[in-house]
Amino acid sequence: METFCKAGIISLRSLAIHPRNLFSLIFRVLPKLLCHCTGLLLKKFGEEGRVHPPSVGTSLGRMPELPQDILMDIFSTLEIPDLVRVGSVCSAWRSAYNTLRDNEQYKRSQTPCLLYTSESAGENVVCLYSLGEKRTYKLTLPEPPIRSRFLIGSSHGWLVTVDDRSEMHLVNPITGEQITLPSVITIEHVNSIVDKSGVVRKYELSYHTARQMVYKPSDPEHVKLHVKPTFDKFEVVRKYEPTERMVYYEPAVFAVDELRERLHYKAFVFPETSKGSYIVVLIHNPLNQLSFARAGDGKWTWLPPYTEYEDCSYKNGLLYAITIVGEIHAFDLSGPVITRKMIMGMMEDVIPDNIYIVHAPWGDLLNVWRVVDNEDATVDPAVHLLSTIEIKVNKVDTTAKRLEELKCFHDHVLFLGHNQSLCLSAKDHPHLKANHAYFTDNNKLYTRGYKNGRRDIGVFNLESNNRDKLLSPQPWSNWPTPMWITLSLAKLKMK
Amino acid sequence: MASAGSGDEKAAAAAMITLISSDNEKFEVTEATATLSQTIRHMIEDGCTDGGVPLPNVTSKILARVIEYCKKHATAAAGEEGSSSSFSDAAFLEVDRAFLEELEEFDDAFLEVDRATLFDLILAANYLDIKGLLNLTCQKVADSVKGKTPEQIREMYNIVNDLTPEEEAEIRRETQWAFE
Repeated sequence: METFCKAGIISLRSLAIHPRNLFSLIFRVLPKLLCHCTGLLLKKFGEEGRVHPPSVGTSLGRMPELPQDILMDIFSTLEIPDLVRVGSVCSAWRSAYNTLRDNEQYKRSQTPCLLYTSESAGENVVCLYSLGEKRTYKLTLPEPPIRSRFLIGSSHGWLVTVDDRSEMHLVNPITGEQITLPSVITIEHVNSIVDKSGVVRKYELSYHTARQMVYKPSDPEHVKLHVKPTFDKFEVVRKYEPTERMVYYEPAVFAVDELRERLHYKAFVFPETSKGSYIVVLIHNPLNQLSFARAGDGKWTWLPPYTEYEDCSYKNGLLYAITIVGEIHAFDLSGPVITRKMIMGMMEDVIPDNIYIVHAPWGDLLNVWRVVDNEDATVDPAVHLLSTIEIKVNKVDTTAKRLEELKCFHDHVLFLGHNQSLCLSAKDHPHLKANHAYFTDNNKLYTRGYKNGRRDIGVFNLESNNRDKLLSPQPWSNWPTPMWITLSLAKLKMK
Repeated sequence: MASAGSGDEKAAAAAMITLISSDNEKFEVTEATATLSQTIRHMIEDGCTDGGVPLPNVTSKILARVIEYCKKHATAAAGEEGSSSSFSDAAFLEVDRAFLEELEEFDDAFLEVDRATLFDLILAANYLDIKGLLNLTCQKVADSVKGKTPEQIREMYNIVNDLTPEEEAEIRRETQWAFE
């Protein structure tokens, strides 16, 4: 009896998870039970077929059925397009698919796809180019048309978009789920200008930072409004340099569809796993400042006083943000008081064209910078050419607060661009080239008037510093911005 | 396990276990081979293997294949353990690589079976709790469905489509993109 109990405890857990798997439980327990009986008794039971489970390997031309937990083990290694297809083979396979999808137990580290749009595919359609299958999937997204929006970020399967009223949405291309983010007018620097009937006609964008006052000679009251008090709730970690830009700009007025060309730069969605919630972080103008909104928030919360942020990541409840000069700040947004820690100071003598912050799977914090060559400045701006010529990966030594060039990239792969920066193991993604960076551009030039400029997209060999084309001829429209996306079937439960 | 060449190991190697398939065929295997199965390992620990271990849901055909797998992997495991102390690091790595390559070749050849047998091997590996064999066979199924349409998969594994028209319509509505 003791044996039975032991076996029972081992298997009850899996039974509770997969109630359909009763047979599997019987299979495991039965031999232990029977080993106390004589061989004769076993034979008798077998012949009478009372407790004898169906034999493995006795089927004649008929396929044996795999239990749900086995099907789930098999399916949990698949990329989402394959997973969706196996989920429509038969009802047993569908049931395994549904469980994996609903409990988010499918393969989470999906190989990123290139998301782009094209004129021929249609206004509401996004194309996903799979690097593994070397083929494209076309998905129809909810209104407003995706080709009328600006694409400013992609994380965890979510695309962050800006519509023609400069308002933001999250949209998951796979599930079609769409979430409206807090209005752009709740961002610290944006005010609405409404007509008599209360309709927003224009936006006013203020150029202040927490370290600058705004001067508007025509309206002394306005000056008062925009002078920000000291942000004493922030831990002061650095004295502000007197070299701070002291140029005062007047607020500018933009048409509703024009603001997005000036305000939005890059956005991120970070699930807060402990709370089942999520945070959206936006890098925006003036001067690439940070604001964030948590699920359920009615407004954006500004994160002053620093500026010139270029990229963000999120780990263990902390938001990491890197500036163009390599400063790294870690924000703890979890409590009622936001705190900020300086992880790394300014880099010396280097200002790259783009900078990225990535948490490597082996534990290091990486500072990746990219140098872009303006191939021919004299050509027509409509075909403006930017070309990545160098990508350098540095390890951030958070104790000594200095950078070390990373010589060995441990067979990993980078994904850089407008997406949340990623570092993946080539071993887990056999279709990817180890020690390469898959890149799209995230240069501000494109949003400021070079929308038809040829995109800087390709695969960069980090060892030889050579670049390869990703696809030729290019299937994507240059606008809206193509970017990498990691597909997800997850629902954002809180709205 | 005891270190190579000790008297203990010789005794362990000599200990034989009898496995009895559902069609009553008996297989004599060493304890080292048999204990790749966690299910059998627990039975040995519980001392209930006298008179043979009845495996009432594994046929002789499948059990023979499972034993073939366990023999190979038990030998490799013993070889690796024995070598670790008596070689320099470089030599050890060399031996290690040779073992791994040989095992990989064996695994590839082992998986050259018809699809019904593959499913039977999965069920047996699951029942006998042989992690390596379960991973190997499951990976084979996963690889076989990659890039395939549901129709191709049904044909490949002789599966009847028992989805209702409503379910089919729901699938098409939600995930049409994956089928074009």
